[in-house]
Amino acid sequence: MIAVLGLVVGVVVGLLVRPEVPAVVEPYLPIAVVAALDAVFGGLRAMLDGIFVDKVFVVSFLSNVVVAALIVFLGDKLGVGAQLSTGVVVVFGIRIFSNAAAIRRHVFRA
Amino acid sequence: MNGGETPRNEDGTNTPSEPERQQLTGRQRLAAGLWPPRVTRAQLIVAVLLFVLGLGLAIQVTSNNDDSALRGARQEDLVRILDELDNRTQRLEDEKQRLDAQRTELETSSDQAEEARKQTREKEQQLGILAGTVAAQGPGITLTINDPSGTVEPDMLLDAIQELRAAGAEAIQVNDVRVVADTYFSGTGGDVQVDGKAVTAPYVFKVIGKPQDLEPALNIPGGVVQTLEKEQATATVTRAEKIIVDALRPAKRPDYARSSAQ
Repeated sequence: MIAVLGLVVGVVVGLLVRPEVPAVVEPYLPIAVVAALDAVFGGLRAMLDGIFVDKVFVVSFLSNVVVAALIVFLGDKLGVGAQLSTGVVVVFGIRIFSNAAAIRRHVFRA
Repeated sequence: MNGGETPRNEDGTNTPSEPERQQLTGRQRLAAGLWPPRVTRAQLIVAVLLFVLGLGLAIQVTSNNDDSALRGARQEDLVRILDELDNRTQRLEDEKQRLDAQRTELETSSDQAEEARKQTREKEQQLGILAGTVAAQGPGITLTINDPSGTVEPDMLLDAIQELRAAGAEAIQVNDVRVVADTYFSGTGGDVQVDGKAVTAPYVFKVIGKPQDLEPALNIPGGVVQTLEKEQATATVTRAEKIIVDALRPAKRPDYARSSAQ
């Protein structure tokens, strides 16, 4: 419950404060958000499976974000940033879908 | 589905799970996590991370909504977009020049067509005066021949016409008959026909031309006026600043002659 509250508060604060994102971080923010979403869906699935460990969640969340940003950064340096970020988004999208399918089976039993 | 769940639950042996939690279904676990709210370490950590996620999500969404799509674009994308815009500008510029040229061309050609029409109209007027299809006005003289004894022969009238033409007459009408290139005189004294139409005395010649040339041409010694006076006819010439020649004849299309201009 507190976790859900944290998400809601984050969205509200982001909408109200409208902080300026530094230009260096800007290209990586969308990818980082997608990576974090993947980690959250993975965590939710683990919770439903009864194998949720907070340490694993923290590590997977942070490493997802960092690795995704790193891949995009590397892609930018190599001149294939657009393609690589597309690839990253595709991979995370597939993972989110499979996690969502598992969650659906738990919640709706279907 | 339940068969798929069981091995996953068994995978969770490395987690600190109590035996009774093994029996719970996923839905029950979700409900237990949501309500009642419990302040545990796991909940707090997840809350912090989800706060960060929500923050990033909101920032990204607002920055995407706030500005154009260019804000989040990478440098190479921006360069590509700039190139495309440059190309597009170039193409549109070319098209504009082409259309401008076309417009200028159309304007000049319509001007030329208008000019040609104007010249054609002027020419038509000039030729119409010669052919007798339009009325004419201008300075000139009026020659009135009275013939009380019916002695004026058609050839005398023709002489008068020739004399007037030689003096530069541009439009002539006798009574109400327009005199043109193929005008002919017939009949006898007292019963004169011009182009087959009977004309009776007094014969009134309305002539457009230079009065200073026309009047002496008729009055010279041995000229038209003297010849007529010998025949007991009287001829009077009066100058006028404005003579109106308004007798018309229909335009006639030649049956055989065609213009060889083209």
